[in-house]
Amino acid sequence: MEDFEPVIVAFVCNWCTYTAADLAGTSRLSYPKNIRLIRVMCTGMVDPQYVIKALLEGADGVLVSGCHPGDCHYINGNYKARRRIKLLKTILPQIGFEQERLKLTWIGASDGIRFAEIMRELVDQLTEIGQSQAKLKMVI
Amino acid sequence: MIKKIGKALVVGGGISGIRAALDLAEFGYGVTLIDKASHLGGILAQLDYQFPTNNCGMCKMLPLIDRDSSSQYCLRRGLFHENIDILLSTQLASVEGEPGKFQVTLDQKSNPVDPSLCVGCGKCIQVCPVELPNCFNEGLSTRKAIYLPLPHAIPNSYRIDGNVCTLCGACVEVCPTDAVKLVDEGRKKFSILIVDDELIVRDSLKEWLEIEGGFAVEMAQSGQEALERLKEKKFRLMLLDIKMPGMDGVETLQKAKEILPDLHVVMMTAYATVETAVEAMKIGAMDYLIKPFDPDVLIPKIVKIYEELNVSAGLTLEVGAIVLSPGNSYFNPADGKDTLGYGKNPDVITGLEFERILSAAGPYEGRLVRPSDGRPIKKMAWIQCVGSRDFQTNADFCSNICCMYAIKEAMKAKERAQNAGYELDAAIFYMDMRTFGKSFQRYKDLAERCGVRFTRGRIHSVLPDKESGNLVVRHASYSGKISKDAFDMIVLAAGQRPALCTSDIAEMTGIELNSSGFPSTRPFSMSGTNQNGIVVAGTFAGLKDISESVTQAGAAALLASRVIHASGGGLALESGPAPIYADVSRENPQVMVVICSCNMASGLSEPEKLAENIKADPCVKHVLFTDRICTTSGWENLVEMVKKHHPNRLLIGACLPYLYARNLKALGEEVGINPRLMDVVDIHTPGFSDVDSQDPEYFRSMTETTLKMSIAKLKYADCASSVHAENSVFQQALIVGGGIAGMSAALAIADHGFKVDIVEHEKELGGNLRWLETTIEEHDIPSFLADTIAKVEKHPMIKVHTQSTVIASAGQVGQFFTAIEENEAPAVINLEHGVVILATGGAEAVTTSYGYGKNKKIITQKELAQKVNADELDIRSIKTLVMIQCVDSREEPRNYCSRVCCASSIKSALQFKKENPEIAIYVFYRDMMTYGFMESYFTEARKAGVIFIPYTINKKPVVTNENDSIFITAFEPIISQEIKIEPDMLVLGTGIIPTLPPSLAQTFGIALDQDGFFQEAESKWRPVDSLKEGVFACGLAHSPRNIPEAIATAEAAAQRALRILGHEYIPAGRISSTVRSSLCSLCERCIDTCPYGARTLNEDGKKVLVNSAMCQGCGLCAAVCPNSASVIEGYPMEQMLEMIDAAIL
Repeated sequence: MEDFEPVIVAFVCNWCTYTAADLAGTSRLSYPKNIRLIRVMCTGMVDPQYVIKALLEGADGVLVSGCHPGDCHYINGNYKARRRIKLLKTILPQIGFEQERLKLTWIGASDGIRFAEIMRELVDQLTEIGQSQAKLKMVI
Repeated sequence: MIKKIGKALVVGGGISGIRAALDLAEFGYGVTLIDKASHLGGILAQLDYQFPTNNCGMCKMLPLIDRDSSSQYCLRRGLFHENIDILLSTQLASVEGEPGKFQVTLDQKSNPVDPSLCVGCGKCIQVCPVELPNCFNEGLSTRKAIYLPLPHAIPNSYRIDGNVCTLCGACVEVCPTDAVKLVDEGRKKFSILIVDDELIVRDSLKEWLEIEGGFAVEMAQSGQEALERLKEKKFRLMLLDIKMPGMDGVETLQKAKEILPDLHVVMMTAYATVETAVEAMKIGAMDYLIKPFDPDVLIPKIVKIYEELNVSAGLTLEVGAIVLSPGNSYFNPADGKDTLGYGKNPDVITGLEFERILSAAGPYEGRLVRPSDGRPIKKMAWIQCVGSRDFQTNADFCSNICCMYAIKEAMKAKERAQNAGYELDAAIFYMDMRTFGKSFQRYKDLAERCGVRFTRGRIHSVLPDKESGNLVVRHASYSGKISKDAFDMIVLAAGQRPALCTSDIAEMTGIELNSSGFPSTRPFSMSGTNQNGIVVAGTFAGLKDISESVTQAGAAALLASRVIHASGGGLALESGPAPIYADVSRENPQVMVVICSCNMASGLSEPEKLAENIKADPCVKHVLFTDRICTTSGWENLVEMVKKHHPNRLLIGACLPYLYARNLKALGEEVGINPRLMDVVDIHTPGFSDVDSQDPEYFRSMTETTLKMSIAKLKYADCASSVHAENSVFQQALIVGGGIAGMSAALAIADHGFKVDIVEHEKELGGNLRWLETTIEEHDIPSFLADTIAKVEKHPMIKVHTQSTVIASAGQVGQFFTAIEENEAPAVINLEHGVVILATGGAEAVTTSYGYGKNKKIITQKELAQKVNADELDIRSIKTLVMIQCVDSREEPRNYCSRVCCASSIKSALQFKKENPEIAIYVFYRDMMTYGFMESYFTEARKAGVIFIPYTINKKPVVTNENDSIFITAFEPIISQEIKIEPDMLVLGTGIIPTLPPSLAQTFGIALDQDGFFQEAESKWRPVDSLKEGVFACGLAHSPRNIPEAIATAEAAAQRALRILGHEYIPAGRISSTVRSSLCSLCERCIDTCPYGARTLNEDGKKVLVNSAMCQGCGLCAAVCPNSASVIEGYPMEQMLEMIDAAIL
């Protein structure tokens, strides 16, 4: 398990977190490998199916990240995401995933450093939980 | 996109400039937006967090209608709009001509770093030897001479600061793409003549300037020889020694100027003869250099002269109108007496510097630490009015923004401290807390509840305590008691000042400036200047926060647009036929992947293997590599490839995908591929994560995954060309309310050739202006009102319905159907209109406080004005007059400031003092809200002897009735005693309440705020819009305002309305939602969740309809739909699932 590098699928909103991620990239900030960014218009459009699909396919963690509360480009999409993700977290253990594999954060457009920081934190957490067993256990 | 004939120039790309440019561009005019800086955003680029959400929301300014014509990403990064030409590092050089036909010259500074070659690797900054304070972080960190002006801008290439660059060439050597060209070709043509009798001086100068500077240099050893050389050749610059045998420098200069009048001469002098050099400057020398020379100083100086003389030789444009919004500057607290220690003590900083400390991209990555020793800040203070409201710094005005930003900074700092696990002690020292905007007062109350301390008083000094390193603030209270308090850090609210370029621009354009050096505007206008066709916006025109700037920029855009329209910038549409794309919906996806091979240089190995892996997908037909797609030649190569292979989908792997929008559209039109079937993906940036391991294998797998995800995206991209019916627009407007705001909006729209109906429930037009006589500036209101009413009544495009009310309305943006009832001769009229502006106004609040109604000596401000107007008041007979401000205002339930009452009281007080100097006037106030230039009238009133007595909400004055007399008892804090006054009259400032009936708001489907005012879509970024597109508000129904401010909101609302009225059809966005009715179970969850009200049930209630003009494509409806009946075009579920697959597998 020493060289375990968790695979993370990150659903990031077009307006804030994607900008932050891009800023982190262009500012050459060091953040962990194996992060797959999927740009969505708003975190409010992230269907629970997408999160579950990613976990079932073997992602070790899923990050959903958007604008700070009150700043959503689409007025209130991030609040809706917050409710949805909270509910989704409660049912994750029922399908065999630790709640910690799903994370919701707010990262503003200028917070490139914060983006890298959150990614590192998430990797640390996932390393502690260990590799996702989805591929070993489940037949899709 | 429609295009109208007519062009505007917007000078300054800050928030006001962007708003004005977008407003004009959305209406269809071509706009040239220039900015002196190398990026857009102005000061907002440095401010990460804005009141009231304490975060950012700038992107909400982007177009909502026809949004595909502009960029759809964070506005802090940059802007793109089809109708806007953005020229950065560009300044206005000259303006000539007349309204509707100005000829302007622009100077663009060249950049030695070629933006099309720079890949932003940052190697140059590692080797650059010059280090200087970074102005982006307000000098709290350092940068190199080659630097990124703004870390997040797009496009973002490095720049060289010519003023400090030593031309050492280190950056040229390390640049992997040869993007840096220190010696530009122009320099070789820039011939310099060095005239000196000393050989060693001549030789060393020639060597420096030729080898390091890259100039063409020739030499002469005497004045005589120099003159001969000048006759032979046209030199651009002469470096001339003063002390030479024979003909001396001054004489040579005189004669040289006769031969070549355009020659620029720089004198060279020893320290002893500096005076002669200064004399020489009077007869035509441009500068002087003092011997001995230091090449590090000399070369940049010559380069600067070269750049000034050679700025891209002036670009000329013809424009119809000019919007000036180049921003402002800030008072430097180190100027003047500086008892606060700014500049001496690193822990005394300005508000802007603290914004940078708070920023995650700032000098301390957002940690709350002191600049001097990096210690966490536990106790900090804000000192208000530094360089504002201060005669000693020549600032008899209030800067408007500081109170609110201090509160915001204090709240943000407290939040930061809490996140770090401790409680911050935050104190604000102020004179008056000017919380005069909408919702400001409640925000201040919230800060108070959160523990921010507000201390009233003037600061005597800030001195460091040598032992603890803390800063000791000595401050005086009202009663004169001096207290001391120690803090870790002090933030000074540095006041606003005119932009440095203001006087130059004023000279160029002929606009007048006021006594404080800001542009002055016409009476009753916030944007119009004495020069027709040249309008001002934002802080350039003085003292504004974001929301006011945005509103005023809208008004400025309107005035500009009016001039363009009047001078023939007509409504003729210029748009070509809609592009025809091949229908590929029945074809299998055939993706062509083109990978930009610049990337190889930074670590991608074995491209063949990458190509092979990608080709494993049967949909991928071609994988090709090409060089530098971002350059013109690279792009041409790519176009050739597309033409050769005829794919039906195209994926480009390159860097900076944002740059390609325009190119892709053009390519789509050329080869017939719908732009939604083309994508550019960034394969450059993801590889940089984890910089430590430059593992080529990892780099390749990352690139592969990124490309595969995008291929998956393209495979499932929606290939139907456009399924949306375009929404037709009734090109006429309805305005509810015929006060000054309603009439101004009506005139603004009608002047653009659109029909307007005004519905006014009273008999006459005019609203509140009918009982107002003069403004505080002594402008005559009745004649202005009569003038406006005459214009409205005579206007062929305006129809006024008096004594009428709106009874019902249905419809959505572009198509409203409204019934109005005329009460005089009862009749119902049906109107069809595309937009509606609510200008229903407001009224003076009624009160029962302070004994109002019990004694006829107690009156309100409106009653006072009416008495004065009707000559019912004998001012000479009044001995004592008392005014009480904030009656029932700024406390729950009416917890907002009405803005006009303080000015109104001062206006009356000044008038009475003028007519009866013996009169004693006492004004009881909580905070005098004489914001902006109104402060000078407050000063004047105090000079005239009006006594201002502050009271607090817990200790209000008490009014008692005894027989026929009234007595006011109150605590006077300066003498610390209870006082009792018996006035002849008591005037109550009760403030403004809106008259926007909730039923009317409901009719048009908009929300009201808790005080009954119009609820804006976003108080800062969309101040006159409602969440429901097509419904706007202005005037007092929007918020309490004085007359020019109300007119500015009206003009801004009119401009927002024109964006819609200017279109015959509103095109749908590329990403928008639809309904698969066969799957829909009519649960209506999507209707409830849509933040824009774009979804409705159809008439028989059996189908959910989407208004594609209102839908913004956020996708919330798709996520709530239990049956997947709600679909987002551009983000279908299959596509997302496939992308997730590609991401992991």
